[in-house]
Amino acid sequence: MHEHRTKKIKGQYERVILIGNPNVGKSAIFGLLTGKYATVSNYPGTTVEVSYGNMSLDGKRFLIVDTPGVNNLIPMSEDERVTRDILLTEKPVAIVQVSDAKNLKRTLMLTLQLGEMGVPLILNLNMKDEARDRGLTIDTKKLEEILGIRTITTIATQRKGINNLKEAIHGPRIPITKIGYDPLIESQIEVITALLPEANISRRSIALMILSGDESLKDWLNTNMSAEEIKNLEEIKDSTQARFSTPVSYLINEARIKAAEGIGKRVLKRSHPKGSNLAPFIGRMSMHPLWGIPILILVLYGIYQFVGIFGAGTLVNLMEKAVFGKYLNPWAVKIVNALLPVTFLQELLTGEYGIISMAITYAIGIILPITTTFFIAFAILEDSGYLPRLAIMANRIFKVMGLNGKAVLPMVLGLGCDTMATMTTRILETKRERIITTFLLALAVPCSAQLGVILGMLAPISGKATLIWAGSVFATVLLAGFLASKVIPGDKAEFFLEIPPIRLPQTMNVIVKTIGRVEWYLKEAVPLFILGTLFLFFLNKLNILIYIERFASPIVVEFLGLPAKATESFILGFLRRDYGAAGLLALSEGGMLTPLQVVVSLVTITLFVPCLANFFMIIKERGMRVALLMAGIIFPFAFLVGGVLNFALRALEIQF
Amino acid sequence: MIEKSKKTMDQGMDKRLFQDEALEFIWELREKGEVKKEEVIKELENRSAINEMERDGLIKIKDGKIYLTSEGEKKASDITRRHRLAERLFVDVLDLTEYEADACKFEHAISPEVEEAICTFLGHPPKCPHGKPIPRGKCCSIFTQKISPLVQRLADISVGKPARVVFITGPVMGKLSSIGLIPGAIVRLQQKSPSFVLEIEETSIAIDEDMAKGIFVRII
Repeated sequence: MHEHRTKKIKGQYERVILIGNPNVGKSAIFGLLTGKYATVSNYPGTTVEVSYGNMSLDGKRFLIVDTPGVNNLIPMSEDERVTRDILLTEKPVAIVQVSDAKNLKRTLMLTLQLGEMGVPLILNLNMKDEARDRGLTIDTKKLEEILGIRTITTIATQRKGINNLKEAIHGPRIPITKIGYDPLIESQIEVITALLPEANISRRSIALMILSGDESLKDWLNTNMSAEEIKNLEEIKDSTQARFSTPVSYLINEARIKAAEGIGKRVLKRSHPKGSNLAPFIGRMSMHPLWGIPILILVLYGIYQFVGIFGAGTLVNLMEKAVFGKYLNPWAVKIVNALLPVTFLQELLTGEYGIISMAITYAIGIILPITTTFFIAFAILEDSGYLPRLAIMANRIFKVMGLNGKAVLPMVLGLGCDTMATMTTRILETKRERIITTFLLALAVPCSAQLGVILGMLAPISGKATLIWAGSVFATVLLAGFLASKVIPGDKAEFFLEIPPIRLPQTMNVIVKTIGRVEWYLKEAVPLFILGTLFLFFLNKLNILIYIERFASPIVVEFLGLPAKATESFILGFLRRDYGAAGLLALSEGGMLTPLQVVVSLVTITLFVPCLANFFMIIKERGMRVALLMAGIIFPFAFLVGGVLNFALRALEIQF
Repeated sequence: MIEKSKKTMDQGMDKRLFQDEALEFIWELREKGEVKKEEVIKELENRSAINEMERDGLIKIKDGKIYLTSEGEKKASDITRRHRLAERLFVDVLDLTEYEADACKFEHAISPEVEEAICTFLGHPPKCPHGKPIPRGKCCSIFTQKISPLVQRLADISVGKPARVVFITGPVMGKLSSIGLIPGAIVRLQQKSPSFVLEIEETSIAIDEDMAKGIFVRII
């Protein structure tokens, strides 16, 4: 079996796979090995997609594969399945198990499973600093002896031990594992092993998966065995289970834990913790039933100050009014007029619906400062470990919507970019939760750009206007979530979330992550901005805009009580909601909207259809049917809420 | 319970079984107020057997009302206690929803030793799942004086104390065992609200109350 592994597949580099428990620093190690950045955060489940990168070592090139974290190679969740399937299908030259040095037992549980699979392994004990602070020392020499594999300690955040790890990749070995299961299980393993075909991992490990009732193995079985053989395996599995009162999967896990504990006892020494108590204290307080709330308010206030006031206020003023308004746009007009004596082209670039004067100004002048500040704030939140604590605080509210606290992560990320957040819904366990969260993101979570524009418009009116907008959107989220949870079938998912320690965010990581996200965002947004502007430009040129405005008049003018020109913003909103909001901003700056109209139009545009990029992501993640259905619900729903709000505000004669 | 009493009225039924059922019913009526003789007879459909119970010295009948004698009182208390303990066991530990009929059989089958063991195991619960009081047994009075309950749900222990996991029920066993939470592991409850947070070695996890109810621990 081993020869197969080292045989080079034509045209491909030899593969090295990184595997490990969630939140142990696989992506950080991946970054250090390959020089390629993969999102590193301080919460479990950051990596939802497999990343690939190259590493050169002594003139030889390897393909490094970063995988989602796993606690168990008998998958309990989608990400665990992704990783296990990689082991089933790939033939890596080496596997590096990245692990958290302070959680040795959980590390070893995985090592033992990898050993059972018979794969060539190197064990990497990462976060040695945190283990040391907690008074934990691991005798790596002894551990190497027991397992028969190289064991390398690292501190990825300080780049320590990386060269040792690289060098060790040359010498992977199959770990020695001696887990004895219940005699009955052992005999059934033998029976099943004899029936299985040759595979990339040991037949014993596949037999254990089958006995554990691993449903996710079905695909592999179906491609490698006949229906009759599979049925036979099913029967063996059922008859084995029938002889135990506890689930067999549990007995298997238990034996593994016991074995891991046995090894742990021989190599782990505990002494008094040396680290400071401040971080753990902040960690406890931020999820405290009482103190957690003022801390949450403080965090929100901090974000508001940084993103809302500094980003959307100061920076946008600087960029839009000064940089673009005073210099870039006037220059652009001069240059375009000088170089292109054709009026049509001049208007196309710098006219009312010009690519430079409208699309680029919006993208760089308004959107860029807001997105950048938001992503900086978000990266700090992520890396500090606060988000999982926020999940604890918000768990009950999310329960109303058929979700649990875990959904806080994609929902907050949605305030940055809904498209990114839609992809991140993969960290949720059930399909039902993913659909509900995707729907709520698409319906009501304004992305950073939109949020910035909206806050920028509301702030000059009054705090009351902001509250009414926020209250309407929040109430809509709750109501829509509640209804969705009643309509969408499926079980409620149990809340189960690992809480990482509070850590001081690394400046470099925050910067690198922010740049990566802003880049993604601009790549996604700017083409759509230009497309939208072109669209408007031609509609205007061809005088179609007037007809559309007239056609939409009953809804926009009568029902929402807005000026007909607001229709333009909604057309832009089809491409991107923030672009639509920016259109409203222009109207409002031109004095064409009353405060009430501002609030109504903003609530409507907030709930408006997801942007094109997000729509494509929904199709990718959830399929065309679900995406169309969602859009079909959201479109009328946004106008309905806007209209109801319009009548309610007028009826109650609310003054701003 | 009413339905079952009728079933047990079959001809040739063991006299002791009948008397147990009757005493249990009387106990239950008495919790609500008076015990009218006609109501008991109507429920159990056997007039002579009720009169026989008076002859056996279990009950006294006066002005159409039934009173328990001290012997009857003790027997009624015991049988009610066994029934309600059985209910608790079925609901809390075995997670059953249909348990009434089995609880009725169970109450006749167990010895005082088993009864005491179950009571201790459940941590001397004060009430049955329907909220009715479980009559205290000998083990309970000892417990209030010196020992704490043997096994409790994680949801019920106080924050900050280390506890050893005794067993885990429910659908989450797999996930919990993946992070090393199995019987024998030592956990510490950090908080109960807004969610349950528990520590196991160097790992902290947040879970729902439902899940915390499925983890049974012993304080150490």
